[in-house]
Amino acid sequence: MNRGNYIIVTNNPLVLEKHGETHNVVYKDVSYEDVLREVRDRIHEGHSMLTHPLSGSVKPNETPYKSIMISAERRGIDEGSVALIENAIHACGKFEFKSDRYQPEVYEDFKLIDCTLIESGMASADALR
Amino acid sequence: MAKLKVVHYINQFFAQIGGEEKADYPAEIRVGEVVGPGMALTQKFGEDAEIIATIVCGDSYFNENLEKAKADILAMVKEQAPDVFVAGPAFNAGRYGVACGTIAAAVQEELGIPAVTGMYVENPGADMFKTQVYIVSTKNSAAGMRDAVNKLAPLAVKVGRGEAIGASSQEGYIPNGVRVNFFEKERGSKRAVKMLLKKLADKPFETEFPMPDFDRVEPNPAVKDLAHAKIALVTSGGIVPKGNPDHIESSSASHYGEYDIAGVMDLTEETYETAHGGYDPVYANEDSDRVLPVDVLRDMEKEGKIGELHHLFYTTTGNGTAVASSKAFAAEFSAKLKADGVDAVILTST
Amino acid sequence: MRLELGHIYIKDIQFAAESKIEDGILYVSEEAARAVALEDEKIKSVSFDIAKPGESVRITPVKDVIEPRVKVEGRGGIFPGVIAKVDTVGDGKTYALKGMAVVTAGKIVGFQEGIIDMTGPGADYTPFSQTLNLVMVCEPVDGIKQHDYEAAVRFAGFRVATYIGELARDLTPDETKVYETCTIKEGMEKYPDLPRVAYVQMLQSQGLLHDTYVYGVDAKKIVPTIMSPTEVMDGAIVSGNCVSACDKNPTYVHLNNPVVEDMFEQHGKTINFVAHIITNENVYLADKQRSSDWTAKLCKMLDLDGAIVSQEGFGNPDTDLIMNCKKIEAEGVKTVIITDEYAGRDGKSQSLADADPSADAVVTGGNANQVIILPKLDKVIGTLDYVTKIAGASEETLREDGSLEVELQVLTGATNETGFNKLSAR
Repeated sequence: MNRGNYIIVTNNPLVLEKHGETHNVVYKDVSYEDVLREVRDRIHEGHSMLTHPLSGSVKPNETPYKSIMISAERRGIDEGSVALIENAIHACGKFEFKSDRYQPEVYEDFKLIDCTLIESGMASADALR
Repeated sequence: MAKLKVVHYINQFFAQIGGEEKADYPAEIRVGEVVGPGMALTQKFGEDAEIIATIVCGDSYFNENLEKAKADILAMVKEQAPDVFVAGPAFNAGRYGVACGTIAAAVQEELGIPAVTGMYVENPGADMFKTQVYIVSTKNSAAGMRDAVNKLAPLAVKVGRGEAIGASSQEGYIPNGVRVNFFEKERGSKRAVKMLLKKLADKPFETEFPMPDFDRVEPNPAVKDLAHAKIALVTSGGIVPKGNPDHIESSSASHYGEYDIAGVMDLTEETYETAHGGYDPVYANEDSDRVLPVDVLRDMEKEGKIGELHHLFYTTTGNGTAVASSKAFAAEFSAKLKADGVDAVILTST
Repeated sequence: MRLELGHIYIKDIQFAAESKIEDGILYVSEEAARAVALEDEKIKSVSFDIAKPGESVRITPVKDVIEPRVKVEGRGGIFPGVIAKVDTVGDGKTYALKGMAVVTAGKIVGFQEGIIDMTGPGADYTPFSQTLNLVMVCEPVDGIKQHDYEAAVRFAGFRVATYIGELARDLTPDETKVYETCTIKEGMEKYPDLPRVAYVQMLQSQGLLHDTYVYGVDAKKIVPTIMSPTEVMDGAIVSGNCVSACDKNPTYVHLNNPVVEDMFEQHGKTINFVAHIITNENVYLADKQRSSDWTAKLCKMLDLDGAIVSQEGFGNPDTDLIMNCKKIEAEGVKTVIITDEYAGRDGKSQSLADADPSADAVVTGGNANQVIILPKLDKVIGTLDYVTKIAGASEETLREDGSLEVELQVLTGATNETGFNKLSAR
């Protein structure tokens, strides 16, 4: 798969900064959960999910950052993608909200980890046709 | 430690007043008396607790005079000011189970007195109240009294003392949707190997985490030609002709209704209502089309969008109705729908 | 393969001028151990400390826990492809220092990492409260990138553990356990009536601080494969992850994989333990499909009757777990899966992010969201600065009396998903 074939939806400025010029990055200055909702909306428009919405072990409501890869192409609604994103949105509710309680420098680390997670997906995607 | 004061609730049958013929026995309190299963409870309580009063109420009386029975019993319990309230055990007696669950939940909620009950897992009261009160899992008949009391008494003492309650598998209550941690005797890997050995040998095994209920129904293929299709309405929202002629219960329905709507263009406040006791009925009673959309389908019939609206609709109350009963109802009326040449059904809930 | 695993019981650890093991006491020369740790120029300094079961000590932020071992006979060495040269391990003779561990600690990212309490309520949950711990806190050189720092601490831990393990080379083990596997054909002939069973182990493979290495290879880049179950006992799989410490497998767990041990215990009696299958938990969905297709295919090709599937982590791996379970069951192979739960602080939420009716046999390591109060302990090894930033904790975690209100998530190994502990939930 080449980089024109996927879109990265993210609220992580580091992902935009590192990959915005070379990849199709949709940056939204919204919450973690709203990134999931943004992706859900696109899935209902026919895009399909390419990376797992709950990638990483830092939980929703802990890290404020989330990047998700979806297909650039739109087809019929992919039920597997719908189930994945709905379960992920649902999962947000069970974690204590504390993504606003960290010291400023910690957010840089959150950005970095989210970025490595999506880069791991990008490496897989770029290796495929 | 002082003995905990217990008020015990039982039905007319366990009070040895009589069976179904005495089920309309109104609520009464016998202060200072230990009745029926209370004996076994007392024995098991030992020095920890004592029954200071027993409340007896007929199952029909309770369910048919719900608000009054509840209010009367709550007043009786309040007067005694016990440390803990115990109802049942009800085993597989459906209305008794619902009564035990209802009153135990009410005592806990309204009086702030901890309560426990016990019943068979398939008793409709179990599903209705397991998330509100601790319900000890019992066998399906009174032959399981000793086993039931052995779990019920210690749990009553624990909730009465406000002690931490362990996991369902430790305390013997029906899983209530709250996951509780505890330490097993063996590590997880060993438990996994043992579980696998049982599964391989086709022996019964118990999963530690039941997957969410997957009672999924594969949808039928889409109706291709809606304009010539015969459409029927079915609801679990309890819509019935005004006056509820077949007395469909407001909860735990034991039957369903079949009603003719030939010529009925609109369900009005004067002609239809809901029998359902599980939601605020005001809007459904004002205009029952909100639950059973006869008016809209008549319009579509007129516009030629659908072929016709079937002249019979089927209805029951989903509230607390056992899944097994619902399945049985549906099996029966689905056959009728098929025989009547219905092409598709719109199933509405509440 | 046949591996003799010699257990050498360590009863105490003391600092001394010379490193040696004598009468079950491990003497460590701090100077020599430091030199081993500092072989990597990315590490500026390292401090050593000893934490013993029952002491009022808190170790944090923990990165990895490693059991020192030494390969005394047979091919290869401990941690092949990482410390020893690449060579197939799992055959011959290995000594393990039981009752102790090397614990690496150090801040890599600001929200990371786990806690090991040697006493108090926290000690009931982390298995490493039961080991004598030689703790090394590593400080990186200035301006280092997190990737490089992670790798540096990871390798430093393995070097020191290997150095300690070497001290046992000429000792006589207190106890020896023999683990013997058969080839496919041998197994069929030897145990024709026993059900054929394998262990399917899912490895974290999502990115920085979420990685696992197999013979030095990033598990993200593997396709599912078959190992002899004895290979992990020589360090064939090592940990590169520690975020959300409760359900990550430190290297100690790989070396002492409990499913491998408990399946071996039944091997030849009630089951024929055919193979150890490893697979990964990548973030890219097509990778998940490929890997789960392959694990199911391998199960089929091995003519298995049953398999135990273990998970590592939360969320993303739930999907791999369910895909593996579903596809393996669809091949007619009966499964038991091991997971843990995120049911919320009140225990009322849906525990897993994915589910399927075929997953009808589940073992759980407990609800990681359970809140626990960790009292103030006398001594902290590492730093509490970061405790307030670890997964499951927050800046407000530290209470006025010095106690911590945290979720089980922060305790290293608390809800391990290889079934390492007794914790469960209903």
